[in-house]
Amino acid sequence: MSNFIRLLKTGLSSFRRNGWLSLASITIMVLTLITMSMFLIVNVVLNTGIKTIQDKIDISVYFNDVAKQKDIINLQDSLAELKEVKSIKYISKDDALAKYRKQNANNPKLLESLKDTENPLPASLEIKVTNPDKLNSLTKVFDQEEYKLYIHKVSYKENQAIIDKLFKATQFTKQVGLAATGIFTATALLIIFNTIKMTIFARKEEVDIMKLVGATPGFIKGPFIIEGAIYGVISTFISIVVIAIFLYFLSPALINYFGGVGNNLTDFFLDNVVALVSAQLFVGVLIGVLSSWLAVRKYVKFS
Amino acid sequence: MIYFEHVTKKYEQSEGDKTEALSDVTLHIKPKEFVIVVGHSGAGKSTLIKLINCEIRADEGKVYVGGIDYKELKKRDIPYLRRKIGVVFQDYKLLPKKNVFENIAYALEVSGVKSKDIKSRVPKILEVVGLQKKEKNFPRELSGGERQRVAIARALVHNPRILIADEPTGNLDPRNAWGIIEILLRVNQLGTTVMMTTHNQDIVNKLKKRVIVLKNGKVTKDQATGVYEE
Repeated sequence: MSNFIRLLKTGLSSFRRNGWLSLASITIMVLTLITMSMFLIVNVVLNTGIKTIQDKIDISVYFNDVAKQKDIINLQDSLAELKEVKSIKYISKDDALAKYRKQNANNPKLLESLKDTENPLPASLEIKVTNPDKLNSLTKVFDQEEYKLYIHKVSYKENQAIIDKLFKATQFTKQVGLAATGIFTATALLIIFNTIKMTIFARKEEVDIMKLVGATPGFIKGPFIIEGAIYGVISTFISIVVIAIFLYFLSPALINYFGGVGNNLTDFFLDNVVALVSAQLFVGVLIGVLSSWLAVRKYVKFS
Repeated sequence: MIYFEHVTKKYEQSEGDKTEALSDVTLHIKPKEFVIVVGHSGAGKSTLIKLINCEIRADEGKVYVGGIDYKELKKRDIPYLRRKIGVVFQDYKLLPKKNVFENIAYALEVSGVKSKDIKSRVPKILEVVGLQKKEKNFPRELSGGERQRVAIARALVHNPRILIADEPTGNLDPRNAWGIIEILLRVNQLGTTVMMTTHNQDIVNKLKKRVIVLKNGKVTKDQATGVYEE
């Protein structure tokens, strides 16, 4: 225990002594952790959003008036055999009209206008799928030549375009996030490596004396490694506070701009703050310890 | 206690070009002996000390210290070996930001000695070197002789069986130099083997101890109660 306290004391005193170098190391480490966390949060929230949208989507297949009920029922039967299909319901033209009338019961003028015209609503099939990922493959069925004649529109295709755009945005965010995190991590490694290198040079005399009086390599290297870990711990604390402040003050604007997603960002942060702190602490300490270890390995030599 | 058997150590000057710092040196220093090693700069004195302290390894031959064959010594055991060998340097090698007590205590701290034991052992060793009233002073507040005494105290605080002093009087005036020699003699009388390197003819001749003369990496003289002639 006393040995650990000594390591901690020496590490902290070295951290204080390094002044600007420590500040530079902390700054770049904080940037690394904030970038990593924000992209993680945004990605999780976007993915959750996409999943939610996908889960809500059913396929509605609308038919031209030329389509006979027999043809639609045949299609219904063949689709019902597919494993991707959870349920399938036929809505005839009359059913569709009845449903429309029910939905617009409070709008007598609209209902009145329907009296003088032929039923304008198409017959349709409402399909629920077992797995939203299978939606795309299922819709390919409707592209077959035999159905093209009497299928007027497949609703999912329009939704799919939106989902594809969202997917692309998520992929882009992920790539940018990974690249930015990679660049910041490499910079943090380099800066901390140099900070520890300067510390080793500044304490060269002390290191030589330690070797002379019989200090073990662990005793000599320990404080430098601890110093690296201290950068990780302090940076984690700062970055979490910065993210919390950022989300607190910007959440109204985020909700305005992104709608539910903006709200989800704050909720996700609050719900997962412990996991986020742990992940940041792990990454921060890992970067700090790794850079220190590399510097010590290179510049503290033992015979 | 210290045994060198046909030891050769070479240093690489440039690529492929090696010079011999020690060449086929054989010597034997018995327990409780007081030995003075003399020689000009570059004669191989520092290499000899570095070999004993295991800062470097011999290229040829064998080095035994306290019964340990250095060829068999593992890297991880070197720190423990160094706790059994006290080393004193001409430039003292004290930590400027630590006071006298802390400088000596440091040698014990690195060995994991408990602070309670450190508090009892340091004053005792300060008494041996006559610095009991200076324990709170920093190195910059001490004279050269006092700094060297702190360095000796630090070297002795582990109760080593061997004390190596590399030019311990090199930076001191005659009065302080003799003060240091007296401490080394006292330590030797208490049973510690002392090996000292020096340039100082006056000290060598007055001490009448065993003298080993090194010249160009070779032992040229080894006399029981020798004198030193340039």
